[in-house]
Amino acid sequence: MTAAYVALEGGHVLEGRGRAPGTAHGELVFTTAYTGYEESLTDPSYEEQVLTFSYPLIGNYGVREERFEDDRVHPRAVLAKELTADVVDWLDSEGVPAIDHLDTREVVTDIRDGGAMKCGIAVGEDVTQEDALDELAACKSMSEHTDIGTQVSVDEPIVHGADNDGPDVALVDCGAKGSIVDSLLDRDATVHVLPYDVAAADVDALDPDVLFISNGPGDPANYEDAISLVQAFVEETPVAGICLGQQIVAEALGGTTTKMTFGHRGVNQPVLDLESGQVVMTTQNHGYTVDDPGDHLEITQVNVNDDTPEGLDGIQHDIITRQYHPEANPGPEDTLDFFDDVLAMAETHATTAVPADD
Amino acid sequence: MSTDTDGTETGDGRTILLIGSGPIQIGQAAEFDYSGAQACRALQEEGAEVVLVNSNPATIMTDPEMADRVYIEPITTDAIAEIIAEENPDGVIAGLGGQTGLNVTAELAEEGVLEEYDVEIMGTPLDTIYATEDRDLFRQRMEKIGQPVPGSTTISLEEGEEVSELTEEDLHERVQAAVDEVGGLPVIARTTYTLGGSGSGVVDDFDELLARVRKGLRLSRNSEVLITESIAGWVEYEYEVMRDADDSCIIICNMENIDPMGIHTGESTVVTPSQIVPDEGHQEMRTAALDVIRELGIQGGCNIQFAWRDDGTPGGEYRVVEVNPRVSRSSALASKATGYPIARVTAKVALGKRLHEIENEITGETTAAFEPAIDYVVTKVPRWPKDKFDDVDFELTTAMKSTGEAMAIGRTFEESLLKALRSSEYEPDVDWDDVSDEELEERYLERPSPDRPYAMFEAFERGYTTEEVVELTGIFEWYTERYKRIADSTLAAQEGDFTEAAIAGHTNATIASAAGADIDTVESEVPGRTYKQVDTCAGEFEAETPYYYSARKNEFESGPLIGDAAAGELEVDRDVESVIVVGGGPIRIGQGVEFDYCSVHAVQALREQGIDAHVVNNNPETVSTDYDTSDGLFFEPITAEEVADVAEAADADGVMVQFGGQTSVNIAEPLQDEIERRGLDCEVMGTAVEAIDLAEDRDRFNALMDELEIAQPEGGTAVSKEEALELAHEIGYPVLVRPSYVLGGRAMDVVYDDEELETYIEEAVRVSPGNPILVDDFLEDAVELDVDAVADGRSVLIGGIMEHIETAGVHSGDSACMIPPGSLDEDTLGRVREVTEDIAKALKTKGLMNVQLAVTGVGEDEESKVYVLEANPRSSRTVPYVSKATGVPIAKIAAKVMAGETLESLGVAEQIPEHTSIKEVVLPFDRLPGSDPRLGPEMKSTGEVMGTASEFGTAYWKAQQAAGNAVSEGTAVVDLDVDGFEDHFDVEAFDDVPQAIREGEVDFVVSRDRDSLEMAVEEEIPYLSTVASAEAYVEALDSFDGELEVAAVTDRPHRVENWGE
Repeated sequence: MTAAYVALEGGHVLEGRGRAPGTAHGELVFTTAYTGYEESLTDPSYEEQVLTFSYPLIGNYGVREERFEDDRVHPRAVLAKELTADVVDWLDSEGVPAIDHLDTREVVTDIRDGGAMKCGIAVGEDVTQEDALDELAACKSMSEHTDIGTQVSVDEPIVHGADNDGPDVALVDCGAKGSIVDSLLDRDATVHVLPYDVAAADVDALDPDVLFISNGPGDPANYEDAISLVQAFVEETPVAGICLGQQIVAEALGGTTTKMTFGHRGVNQPVLDLESGQVVMTTQNHGYTVDDPGDHLEITQVNVNDDTPEGLDGIQHDIITRQYHPEANPGPEDTLDFFDDVLAMAETHATTAVPADD
Repeated sequence: MSTDTDGTETGDGRTILLIGSGPIQIGQAAEFDYSGAQACRALQEEGAEVVLVNSNPATIMTDPEMADRVYIEPITTDAIAEIIAEENPDGVIAGLGGQTGLNVTAELAEEGVLEEYDVEIMGTPLDTIYATEDRDLFRQRMEKIGQPVPGSTTISLEEGEEVSELTEEDLHERVQAAVDEVGGLPVIARTTYTLGGSGSGVVDDFDELLARVRKGLRLSRNSEVLITESIAGWVEYEYEVMRDADDSCIIICNMENIDPMGIHTGESTVVTPSQIVPDEGHQEMRTAALDVIRELGIQGGCNIQFAWRDDGTPGGEYRVVEVNPRVSRSSALASKATGYPIARVTAKVALGKRLHEIENEITGETTAAFEPAIDYVVTKVPRWPKDKFDDVDFELTTAMKSTGEAMAIGRTFEESLLKALRSSEYEPDVDWDDVSDEELEERYLERPSPDRPYAMFEAFERGYTTEEVVELTGIFEWYTERYKRIADSTLAAQEGDFTEAAIAGHTNATIASAAGADIDTVESEVPGRTYKQVDTCAGEFEAETPYYYSARKNEFESGPLIGDAAAGELEVDRDVESVIVVGGGPIRIGQGVEFDYCSVHAVQALREQGIDAHVVNNNPETVSTDYDTSDGLFFEPITAEEVADVAEAADADGVMVQFGGQTSVNIAEPLQDEIERRGLDCEVMGTAVEAIDLAEDRDRFNALMDELEIAQPEGGTAVSKEEALELAHEIGYPVLVRPSYVLGGRAMDVVYDDEELETYIEEAVRVSPGNPILVDDFLEDAVELDVDAVADGRSVLIGGIMEHIETAGVHSGDSACMIPPGSLDEDTLGRVREVTEDIAKALKTKGLMNVQLAVTGVGEDEESKVYVLEANPRSSRTVPYVSKATGVPIAKIAAKVMAGETLESLGVAEQIPEHTSIKEVVLPFDRLPGSDPRLGPEMKSTGEVMGTASEFGTAYWKAQQAAGNAVSEGTAVVDLDVDGFEDHFDVEAFDDVPQAIREGEVDFVVSRDRDSLEMAVEEEIPYLSTVASAEAYVEALDSFDGELEVAAVTDRPHRVENWGE
C-alpha cells in the first residue's frame, strides 16, 4: 500500500491510504456536498487549497468532462474516506495527490474548531511523515497568495455567444466557473471573459451593458485591478458579482471584508431574502465575507445560520451581487433567476441611459 | 389564523385534533406513533391544546400525558364526530396519521362534520390530497407544470355500471385500448385508494391483466384501475420535501432504492443519501420536487417518488411517479437518517410557523430552514414475516408484505449494509450447500426475495463476477461491487486476515466464529469501534443532541478502544449513573410496537428517577429512536458485542433487557458473559439471567411448578420422532406441539393423532437433540388468561388479568381479550393471583413478568382448575393494553423497581377498571395472498385495537369497528354452530360459497372453511373463523344500542383494588 500523510497546522500528522502520489500544501478546507465532486474539483475557487470531502464516498458515478467547471483540477490535494478508482485515475492523471481511508469527520471537526488551517501532504511509496511536515512548512496563508488571479484567470479576452441578441456582459474572470458563463449564454447574453487584471480602457472599448465580477480564490484585497475597475465603471454601467465578486464590489465601494473561521462550503446554505421572507438553498464556497457593506450598498439577503450578507443591492447605482453561487453546479438550482435579474438590470439601464431617438 | 413574525408561539389557545393511524398493519406500522408523538410535543410547545384519537393502545401517542385529551376510540367518522362535538377543536391536522388519518379526515369533510363544527383542516388542504390520490388528476397537474410522468391511463366503470355486467369483449376492448395508450406490455396495473400499494403489480401477460382489471374494478373505492407505463429497471428515488406558508421549500434528503423500480419502496433495500445519481440529475429531481410541492400547495412534509436512469446525458432522465402529501414511513426513515424532525416541523408549519422561525434542536444554532448534510451512509432493510407464512410467496413486488424495517448507519456502504442486515434479525432458511448454481441464479438472484442479499454474498463466495451478478439481479454495479467486497472480506477472514471483514461491518464475534479464532485474538487485531454523532450538518456546526452511531476506525489502528477513545464524539455524561435500555428491533409478527412502548416507558421512568437512560435500537419507525426520547440514542444492531461496546463507551452502570421483547431477552446471557470477559463495571439489571433461562428451560420450569404445587398441562420434551409419539400416547390426543425457544408461537400446532404428529415433525420442524420439541396436553375448551405483573423481589403488583375470547388452540397473541375478565369467579381469580405471586417469588422476579394460564371447568358444575402454560419474567405484548385499560403504567413501575425502588417506596397500587376494555387484533391476510386466514396456534396478527365501554357487548362492538370488522346487516354465511346471526342478517346457504362471495352476494362470513375465508379476505368482506369470536359477535350485535360511549381515557372510572383479593 502506498504511504500517505497529512500534516496539520500545529504538527499533528494523520495517516491514510495513498491513492494518487505527489506532495502538496495548501489551506485545508471541507465541503459538505455529497454530490458534485467533479464540479467541486474543477472549481477555480479551490486554488491553493486542500479539499476534504465530509461525505465519505466520493467518485460513485464516474467522471465525465461535460460536468467540469474548468479544464483542470484546482485543489492542490484531495482527502476523503473512500475514493473510487474512477476519480483516483483522474486525479492521478492531473498530478493531484489523493488520500483516502482517513477519518474525514475528525478532519472536518478539527477545521470547524480550529479554523481553516495550513496543511502539508505527502503520498508515495517511500514518503515519510517528515515529507508532509516539510510541505506544511512551505505552506502560505491564503492572503499571502497576492497574485493568485494569474493562476486561474484567462490570459486573453475570449468572447462567447458573439451572435447573441442579449446584453453584452464584461465578465472579469477571477477564476470563473464555467456555469456562470453558461447561465448567461442560456439567457442570450454575449459574454466577454476578461483577464482578472484587465485595463479599464479595454473594458471601455467593449462598452458592456453590465460589468460582472466572477467568483475566485483567495483574499479579495489582492484583486486591486478589479476593485479599481468597479470604481471606474459603477457610475455609468450596471455591476454584478458572485462570491469573490460580491466582496470585490464591496471593497470598491467603501465596504470591508473579513476572513471567516472556516468559511461556507457546501450545497445546503440557507439564505433568507429580507423582502420576500422566503428561504432558498444555495451553493457556497467562500472563506472571506463582506463585513460592512459601506454606504453605497444595502444588504438584501442574509445567511440564516450566521447572518452574513448573501446579497447586496446598490443604493444609488445599479448593482446586484450574491455571496453564494446562483449558477449551482454543484448544488440547488433555486437561485438561477439571479441571472435574469442581472440581465434585466442591464437592459433597463440601457433603455433609460440612452436618450430616445426622437 | 394567528401568524406571527417574531417567532413567538403560534398555537396559543387553539385546540388541535390529531388523528392517529390505528392498528399496526403491513404498510402502516409504528412510524405514525413516532410522528404523532413528535407532533403532540411540537404543538404543545407552541401553546396549543391537543386532542388525540387513535384506536391503537400499544402506542406512546395514546399515553395520557402525551396530549391534553386522549381518546382510544375507533377511527370512524361516527366516533370522531362525537369527539369533535365534545372537544370543539379549532383545527385538525390530517397529514400525520398515515392513509387512515387522511381518509377519515376526507370523510369527515365530505359528511359535513368539519363544517358543522367549524373545524379547519390545517396544513395541507384536502384538494391537494385528492390531487395526489386520483392519478388522473395528478397527471394533469404534473403535465401543467411540465413534469414528466410515466405514461398512464385509467380503466373505469361508467356511472351505475357493475363489474359483473361487464362482458369479456367489452373488458378486452377497454384493456387493449389502455395498454396501447401507455406503450404496450408490460404495464403496471394498480387500484387507487389503497394502502401500501396493495392490488398492484407489473403485468406482462394480457390474460393476467384482464383478470387483474376485473378484480381491481370490483375492489377500488372509485371503481377505477390505473394502467401505467412500466419503468421496471429504472432506479427508484424518494425525495422528502418540506414547505411553509411563505413558500420556502427544502429537501430533507433523498433516498435511493437498491432494488430496481418495480419493487415497492417498502420492500426495497434503501440507501440515504443517493450514491449513483450525479449532481445534475439530483438537482433536476430536487427542483422538480420543489415545483411539485408548490404546485400542489402542500404545507409541511411530503414525499415524492421518482424513477431515474442514466440515458447518457449529464443528468440522466427522470419521471415523477407518485406524491404522498403527508408524513409517511419514508419520512420517519428520513428523519432518523438525517436528524431532521419532519413531523415536528410539519406540525409547526401547520400552525403557521415559517421554517426559519423553527429552531433546529440538534444543533441549537441553526433553524429548520436548511437541508441536512450527512457524512455517513444509511441503509434500511425490510423485515418480512416469511417464517410465519409457509404458503405465501415472498417474491418482492409492487405490493408490500414486510411488517417492519431496520436501519443502520455506517461510514461506508458495506458497514451500513451489514449492520442493517444484522439488525433485521433475519436468517434465510436455506442451506446454501444444497443449492446448485442454477437454482442460486434462478431462484435467489434473478428473483427478488428476502434472501437475495445473502444469495449475492453466496454467489461471490462461489466466484461469480460483479458483471454476472449485475446481469442476474439488475442491481446497479456500484452496489454489487460492494456486496462482493463484503464476500471477499469474509473469505479473507476465514483465511486469518480479519481487518477487512471488521471494517466491512462484521462483528468480532462473527469473524471469530467464521475463522474458528478466539474472540480476544480477533479483537486485538482489528480496528475498534468508536462513536460518531448524527448532527444534520456533516460536522459544520457543533451539535448538542446525543444521537450516535458506531463506526470502525481505519486499518491504521487496531485493538479495542478504551475510555475516551471508545467514546469518540460521545457527549453523554460518563460520571453519572446511567442505564442502557435495549429496544426491540424491527417490527415483526409477535414482536410489535408494544415493545417499543415498553422501552420508551423504561427510559421515561429512569429519567424520572434521575438516572441517565440510553437506548440501543435500530428501528427507524419508533418513538424509542427519536433523538429526544433518551439521554443517548445509539442506532445499532442488537448484539451482545455491540451493546457491550455502548456500555463501555458510555460507562453505563446497567443494561435493561426486559423491555425489547425476545430480541433483547435473547442477548441477556451472551451480554452478561461479554461484560464479564471485558471486566466492565456494569450489570444486566432486574430478574437474573439465570431465572430467565429457568423459565425457558422446560424441564427445570416443570420441576419448579411441581415444587410450588402449581398445575401444568401434562407434557414433556422430545428430541426424536419416537419420543414425541411416546409422549403423545402417554398424554393422550389432542396434544399441542411446538419447538422450544419460540417467538410468537412460531411453528406451533395442535395435532389430533399419530399421523398428524408425524407430518408435523417431518414437515414443520426438524427435531433433533439440539432442537427439541415440546409436547403438551391440549386443554380444549379451557378459558385462557394472561397476567402481567411487576415484582420487586418481595411483593407483587398485578397490572391486570386478561381473559381471552378465543379458547385454547388460538395463539394468545391472536386472541381478542378483555379486562377485567368476564367469566371467572372470585375463587378462581384468587387462585390466579396466588399462582402469579408464587411464580414471581420463585423466579426472584425483579421487574415485569407475564404468566399465561388456562382455566378448566369455567361455567360448569365442576370446580375450576388453574393451569400454568408459560411464565416469562420480561415485558409482554399485552403491557400497553393493560396499562391503558387500568391506568397503571406497569412498564414504568418495573423499570423503577429494577433501578432499586420497591413497590412500597413507589407507593403504587393496583387498579381495576369499571369499564370493559376489549383488545382485538388485526390480521395481514389481505396483504399475503395464499395465506391461511383461520386463527390457530401460530400467531399471525400484526397489530391491535382497543374498544372500551361500560359493558362487554358495546366494547366488543367498538373493537370490531376499530379493527374494520364490523358489519351488522346484509347477507351472511354462517357455517359454524352459533345461533343468533339470523336476528341481524339474512343468513343464506350457497352451494359454492367462494363463488357467491366473489359475485358480491355475501356481506359477512362465519366459517372455518379455508376457501371461503380466503375469498372473503380477497374481497375484503368481514369474517369470523372461530366459534368463540362468533358468539361474542352475536352478543355484541344484540346489545349494541348505537351509543358509542366515547370518552377520554382519563375520564374512564377505575377503583383502587387488588386483583383477585
